[in-house]
Parts: sequence; structure tokens; C-alpha cells
Amino acid sequence: MRLDFVKIFVDSTTELFQQVLGPAVNISSMAVKPSPVAGRDVMAVIGLTGESHGRVIFDMDLFTAVQLAGRMSGESFSGLTPLVRSTIAELASMAIGQAISRINDSGAKLTMSPPTVITGANLVSYDQCFETLVTPIATEYGEVRMNITIQELN
Amino acid sequence: MQVAIKGNAIEGPPIKCLIVDDSAFARFHMRRLMDSFGNVQASEAANGNEAIREYRRVRPDFVLMDIVMPGLEGVEAVKEICAADPAAKVIMISSLSHKEKVAEAFAAGARYFIPKPVTTMVLREAIEEVLRAIGKDWPGATV
Repeated sequence: MRLDFVKIFVDSTTELFQQVLGPAVNISSMAVKPSPVAGRDVMAVIGLTGESHGRVIFDMDLFTAVQLAGRMSGESFSGLTPLVRSTIAELASMAIGQAISRINDSGAKLTMSPPTVITGANLVSYDQCFETLVTPIATEYGEVRMNITIQELN
Repeated sequence: MQVAIKGNAIEGPPIKCLIVDDSAFARFHMRRLMDSFGNVQASEAANGNEAIREYRRVRPDFVLMDIVMPGLEGVEAVKEICAADPAAKVIMISSLSHKEKVAEAFAAGARYFIPKPVTTMVLREAIEEVLRAIGKDWPGATV
């Protein structure tokens, strides 16, 4: 795992969340797992390619997704509407985009795919062979779990 | 795509803008900002190819263009728009803001680059600067 990149992803995400969701953003723990633990109601997935490859998955429960989308859009939602899905995708995209910009400005080459939002699925077996850093991020709207898998290209 | 006219209380011909982003949330957010500025007629596109078609149809005063989009991405779309209309005014808005990407955007023809998340003040300043460059006044402009 590229731990140097992982640190930038975590730091950028924390800063972006503080910027758009408010200052009450905290990371209580980080853990390396043999695979992503994403399995909650809503998942935003971004692929990483370039000199390393991998994936970042943000997962959260439905209530958190709706609350986050409400905060970002200024609207009130009663469920997982297309705009809620899009807002979660944009939140993930901004966080990972900022991280990739920092990584690339340090001389590396990484690109990201547009985010995909998956609901009601379970990705536990999706990446079972790849070591993943799992970081729960507490916000005042609920917990967002960040799963980062990034490997050197052979 | 849909077109809305807002800001009727402000006199003068509306400023035409084209919002290009694959994110429905980003388009919603930009449209809301445009509406708050007043006197802006905004149209939308969700990818580069749609943007090129809309640009030909609408001939906007300026374009707000994302970079990472499925299909034809933003920088390539800007190249095509600016090749067809060298006077096109494009403001890139992206979460990808590393030096190389910003340089690519300017080389393609963009006039301004704003990293996401966009704040109202920064966006407004960029638009005012772009409009000044084409000799257009924005009624109610702060500068």
C-alpha cells in the first residue's frame, strides 16, 4: 500500500469535509484490513489509475447520506433522491480530487474516475485480495467510512 | 437542456451562461448561484459533447466547465469550443487543480480556473472579470 498517498487522501478528505460540512470532523481510528469493509446503504466509489492503482470507497448509512446532502444543497430530503446521490458523489469527488492534486503537485501521476454511487449493495467481497486502510470519519451529520486501496503498479 | 430566466427585477439584457458538469448537484449549485446573482440566463450540459452542442446553440457569454466527466472531458471540450470560437470565455471549475491540469486548461483556452468547492465570492469575481474582458457590464456587479 502507498501509505504516503493514503495520508494525503485522509488529510485532504478531512479538510474538505471541514470546509463544506463544518469544523466538527474527527477521525478516531484507522485500521488496515484485508479488504474494504464498505457495506452500508450508500457507497461512493472512485477509481484511481496512473503510477499506482486502486480505489476509494466512501460508505455511510442512508440517514447520514440524506443529512449530508441537505447540508450541502440547502434542501430538505426525505429519502435517497437523485440529487442526494449526486451530492454524495460530488462530496467524494471533491475530496479525492483535492488529494490527487496534491499528490500530482509532488511529482507523482495519478488520475481519478468520475464517482459512482452504489446503493443497497455489499462490496465486502469486491476487493478481497487488496489491503485497505479503513478510516471512519465522524461528522455532525453522521459517520462516513473511507476505504482506501492503493497499490503500486507492477 | 432546460433553460431558465431569472433576475427580472434587474434591468438590461440577461447574461447568458452555460453550466457544464456531470454532477447534477454541481449544476444545481451553480444554477442557484447564478440565480442569486440575478439577470443570468443559464443553460446546462452534463458532459463535453453536450457542452459543444449547447455552446453552438446558445452562444453563451461565458461557460462554467468541469474537468472530470464521463465521455468527452472538460479540457478536450474547451479545446473544441475555443477552436470553433476563439472568443469563447471559459471558467474551469474542478476539484482537480494541480499545476499540470491548470496549465492544460489554460492551454486549451480557459480564461479562469476555480478549484472546487466554489464559493460565491470567488465565482462572482471570476465572472465579473470575464465579462469586463468582453466589455459587458453585469447590472448589480460589485466591482
